[in-house]
Amino acid sequence: MTRMGGLNASLLIGMQALDAAQGALTATSNNIANVNTPGYTREVAQFSENGENQTGDEVTGGGVTLDGLQSIRDELLNIQIQQQTSLQSSVNTQSSSLQQVQTFFTSSGNDLASALTAFSGGLAQLSANPGSTATQQSVLANGQNLASAFNTTAQGLTAAQSDADRQVPQTVTQINSLTQQIAQLNGQLSQVPAAESGGTTEDQLDQLVQQLSGLTGIAITQGTDGETITTANGTPLVIGGQSFNLQTSTGTNGFQQVLDSNGNNITSSIQGGTLGGAIGIRDQVIPGFLSQLNTLASQLGTAFNTAQAQGFDSNGNAGTNFFTIPTNTNDAAAGISVAISNPAQIAISSDGSADSNGNVANLSAALTNKLPSGQTPANAYADLVFQVGSATSNANTQSTAIGQNLTQLTNQQGAVSAVDVNEETTNLMRYQAAYEAASRIVSTIQVLDNAALNMGSSSSF
Amino acid sequence: MRINPNVVPTILADLQQSQVSLDTALQQVSTGKSVNVPSDNPTAAAAMVQNTIESGDVDQYTQNVNSVLSTVQSADSVLSDVVKSLTQAVSLGTEGANGVNSAADQQEIATQVQGIFANVLSAANTSVGGAFLFGGTSIATPYTADPSSSTGFTYSGNDDSNSVAVGDQMSVQVNLPGSQVFSNSTTNVLGSLNSLVTALKSGNASDITSATSAVDSAVNYISQQQVFYGNVESQLNSQQTTLQQDTVTLSTQENNLIGVNEATAATNLSQAETDNSAALAAAAKVLPNTLLNFLQPPS
Repeated sequence: MTRMGGLNASLLIGMQALDAAQGALTATSNNIANVNTPGYTREVAQFSENGENQTGDEVTGGGVTLDGLQSIRDELLNIQIQQQTSLQSSVNTQSSSLQQVQTFFTSSGNDLASALTAFSGGLAQLSANPGSTATQQSVLANGQNLASAFNTTAQGLTAAQSDADRQVPQTVTQINSLTQQIAQLNGQLSQVPAAESGGTTEDQLDQLVQQLSGLTGIAITQGTDGETITTANGTPLVIGGQSFNLQTSTGTNGFQQVLDSNGNNITSSIQGGTLGGAIGIRDQVIPGFLSQLNTLASQLGTAFNTAQAQGFDSNGNAGTNFFTIPTNTNDAAAGISVAISNPAQIAISSDGSADSNGNVANLSAALTNKLPSGQTPANAYADLVFQVGSATSNANTQSTAIGQNLTQLTNQQGAVSAVDVNEETTNLMRYQAAYEAASRIVSTIQVLDNAALNMGSSSSF
Repeated sequence: MRINPNVVPTILADLQQSQVSLDTALQQVSTGKSVNVPSDNPTAAAAMVQNTIESGDVDQYTQNVNSVLSTVQSADSVLSDVVKSLTQAVSLGTEGANGVNSAADQQEIATQVQGIFANVLSAANTSVGGAFLFGGTSIATPYTADPSSSTGFTYSGNDDSNSVAVGDQMSVQVNLPGSQVFSNSTTNVLGSLNSLVTALKSGNASDITSATSAVDSAVNYISQQQVFYGNVESQLNSQQTTLQQDTVTLSTQENNLIGVNEATAATNLSQAETDNSAALAAAAKVLPNTLLNFLQPPS
């Protein structure tokens, strides 16, 4: 029975312990260094017990091995955060666009409700003072204000639409740049075993994917050669080390269309992210408002022209069109204007005599009677105000709700992955103590070795 | 369980939230409105469209009632004057028919009645705000003296009348054409005065008597026409009351839809200020604290 191997074994164990503590200190210092780095995932030193040594009947421990530094991340949580990020940036894009749009529907003195009020009031005044040139002049001016309120509101809507349209190619360029970087990192990752990567590449990849999810809704699958990323409807963006660029081209409606790498138009299937939000605003939300506004402008103008035709102007001539309405209803609100320039052309009279106000009732009725749409002008406009307000309010509410959800998820992610300075400080002290203790093992064994070697020396006696 | 060591995003979100509440409270206090953009309350914003238009209309109807009321009152008072003039003409006619006047006196009476004719004709041409009260819907001066006519005058107005809007779907006829006020198939106010002048000039007692009696029935006729204006006046007065009630109802509705209770708004503001200060104070306390603050630096 011999135990001579014992001291050497202890020396080995001490050296391994030094290595392990040193490695752990590296992780701790790297964690502290990156405490404010976005996307950084904390590293934890992974220790494992070495196999036992059996010498005869005796079994002794084999020391410690530092297996590596593991980045602590929760992929499921990351995916949830990416999805919510997509939703939020889509809703935020819509919300900020609608905030602009709704100012055109806010009572300001220049809005349609104010213009309708003034026009209607002016006509009532005309009823009491049919012969007053000043009153006629003010009805004409009120009519021009109404037309220009329609123009301004339509321009406000189309301006928001153009803003959204401009975001499409910009966002597509950003998406392409991100997918190229992601594909490159994917390629790097597939060549390095996860345990040796140290987590840096993965952190970068997660950051980029997170940014990408803010631009458009994506779906991610993990494959053998890294992540496969597609748009929500399955158009590939990244497969392993290869990226697929999206393209844009001007469509027949004058708006930028999104094409996949093969040139297929995928605009209508884009959902989520800035891109999905901008396309939704441009192709669905605003066209809905515009169509209602155009119908109102066209039908109100036509009804007023019809009433005008029922009477006679101050010169005894049959009433002519008050409003010029574009033939294409789609241009009605943007293009409506007042056709007459002389207040004497307002068809006030019902019988051709100059002081008659008989047709004013018809003119007024055109503003209060139901239009072919089944709504009175005031109701049709009120409906539009409700829809704009409701869409804006919904977008705001959703943005707040998703924001809270996202804060919650980010908190959970932080609980898993974020660096805690207090924890690292504690670890620093732990590993410092461990390192000091391990070095004490080495120095102690050295002393013992010396003692053993000197046992046979004459000088010791 | 590990908790998120990074409190900064949560603190920032809380601060932002309390800032939003503060802004909202401030805006409500400063504008006195709870709905400043449609998204604040889409239903109320939509209802306000109707309310704004109706309020504008009610304001204008109220102005119309006031302006029409003064026109109608003018017409009424003109007709009262006409009745007085005609009554005077009846006295003069009676005096002229008593057979004791000298020829010169008779001519003098005729001249006086002629003057009354001119007065009534001028009254029938009264205009308010550039529009003739008794010209129908014509802008021509309705009555001109015309010695060549058997009735002594020509009517240049028309037989139409105007109705003025004083409510939604409600309008009031505000004038009667002169052709109706001053004449019908059996009575002709100016014509009867003209006949009286002619009769007085001729001195024929029976002609004078019958002409006087025609003027007398003209007095009754005008009085009947005055009833129309009296009715319009009372209609307008009652509409005025209705419009005043509408104004109150609409402004109450507006207040309910978009107004803020000042006490509530002030309380909200002070609450939001307190919350904001508390959030800031909490952030200031939490952020700088770590274990390192309590460790001795290595010697």
